[in-house]
Amino acid sequence: MATRTIHVQYYAVLREQAGRGAEVLQTQAATPAELYAELRQRHSFGLTREQLKVAVNSEFSDWSSPLKDNDAVVFIPPVAGG
Amino acid sequence: MSAFRFSNEPFEPAGARASLANPEAGGYAAFEGWVRNHNEGLAVTRLEYEAFEALAVKEGERIVAEAKRRFPILDAACVHRVGALGIGELAVWVGVSAHHRDEAFAACRYIIDEVKHRVPIWKKEHYVNGDSGWVNCERCAEHAHEHESSPQRTQPDYSRQIALKDVGPAGQARLRAVRVLVVGAGGLGVPVLSYLAGAGVGTLGIVDGDVLEASNLHRQPLYALDEVGRPKAELAAARLRALNPEISVRVHAERLDTRNVVQLLDAYDLAIDCSDNFATKFLLNDACVLARKPAIFASVYQYEGQLQVYRPDEDNACLRCLWPEATRDGLVGNCAEAGVLGPVPGVLGSLQAIEALKLILDLPGQLRGELLILDLLSLATHRIRAPRAAPCRSGTCARITSIAPMTETPADLEVTFGSLAKAAHDGYAIIDIRDAREVASAPMTGVEHAHIPMSALLEDHHALDPERRYLLVCARGSRSRATALELRHHGLPRVFSLRGGIAGL
Repeated sequence: MATRTIHVQYYAVLREQAGRGAEVLQTQAATPAELYAELRQRHSFGLTREQLKVAVNSEFSDWSSPLKDNDAVVFIPPVAGG
Repeated sequence: MSAFRFSNEPFEPAGARASLANPEAGGYAAFEGWVRNHNEGLAVTRLEYEAFEALAVKEGERIVAEAKRRFPILDAACVHRVGALGIGELAVWVGVSAHHRDEAFAACRYIIDEVKHRVPIWKKEHYVNGDSGWVNCERCAEHAHEHESSPQRTQPDYSRQIALKDVGPAGQARLRAVRVLVVGAGGLGVPVLSYLAGAGVGTLGIVDGDVLEASNLHRQPLYALDEVGRPKAELAAARLRALNPEISVRVHAERLDTRNVVQLLDAYDLAIDCSDNFATKFLLNDACVLARKPAIFASVYQYEGQLQVYRPDEDNACLRCLWPEATRDGLVGNCAEAGVLGPVPGVLGSLQAIEALKLILDLPGQLRGELLILDLLSLATHRIRAPRAAPCRSGTCARITSIAPMTETPADLEVTFGSLAKAAHDGYAIIDIRDAREVASAPMTGVEHAHIPMSALLEDHHALDPERRYLLVCARGSRSRATALELRHHGLPRVFSLRGGIAGL
């Protein structure tokens, strides 16, 4: 299986739970959905992916669209504070 | 004749009155405003009216059209004088024809009140002592009792923004004519309201049903400690009127809900979401999409925030394009539980004010079709393209066809206990739904309980026994309440939430 380098950024509660705002990963995940499943396990993320949006290279993306080497992936939880 | 017009010359209302004639009309009501010889204790010899006519006529016509929509009348018209007028001269005339007198009187009253409040007309009074002073008509109508006796009082001065090439006097008149509804007078609402009032936005509506709490002040510096316990909408309105007595500030001291949202929005041109919960955000979003009005949304979390502008006339996503249905209050953090640094909503609210001014003044660089994410710890910004979802491109959002009723909260959802031991004794199975780090830093002791973090519980709800009574516990009772509500939707009628959480024990 191909290994890709993926740049990941976290916001809000994900940043808190990951203990960091960003990281660079070597992963075999082929889609944002697979990537989130992998990261959720590693960082014990509370939110399910149904509660999140994912953006790839600054565009909102489908959870099942293929990831490419060096993609920048951002997981964004909704926030409501005011 | 046009429903609203200005006259440079003295006019006789007879012609305008005749234009309202209709064989179906059972009555006609008129109001005439005359120039009087005094104002607030000063003798007035004559006065001059000046209007920004292009905009004022449009606003006047809008008011007459509103009256025709709101009241079952046959016809209505209004004529306003401009130029120099002497004592006793006719300054403004409103006429309404209708089937019955009640509607005629009501519509006539509505038109004159709204004209006084909203149409950009200035009045220069010449006093017997030789002084003169410009008076804003709306100010006469709304704040006559607040006037000082001296005509020399300080007037709002917009020169610093009028000096901007892209603003100018025309931009200032636009600001004056616009009506902005601000939902929430909290951390985001405070900078939004302050800057828009300062800028001279003609009509500001404040929707907030909360009273001030001491814990608000670190991020809401418009208020004072000795005002704790008082309604925020009214406190904010008083401050804004002091900041700019020339504008009209309307107080809606209530929560935005499915019953009031349509009518509230109807009286405004633009909505700014400064609320702190998803239910309100989605409700306002849906109402704006249906009414085809722009809306500016922001939210904050700890050190970061998100900003989004919805415009009906552009290919912009609305909130429902971005956020899935699963977005519910309590399932992600809020200021009370997650904490927030005071200036964070200050920055995001200021950005909302900037976007509002850019939109009203048609300035370049508006945030369109993008979600802006701002991390104020690293000062990183992220702009993510957010086009409207494909099924919605032809017009309004395909997912919004009406204002959906808000989820009813069952009355017995939250329960109060002095101690968890009592709850256990009463037969509740206690579940601590906090995440592992919270539990590690403040473990729950002395009572038998299970620890199942919120997300795991929501995913594995099949493992719960519908016959058993469960008491969900979190730090302050907000997540446990949302989780209990969610579980009840999954057919678990005996799940309860500890009111106030561990902090309330």
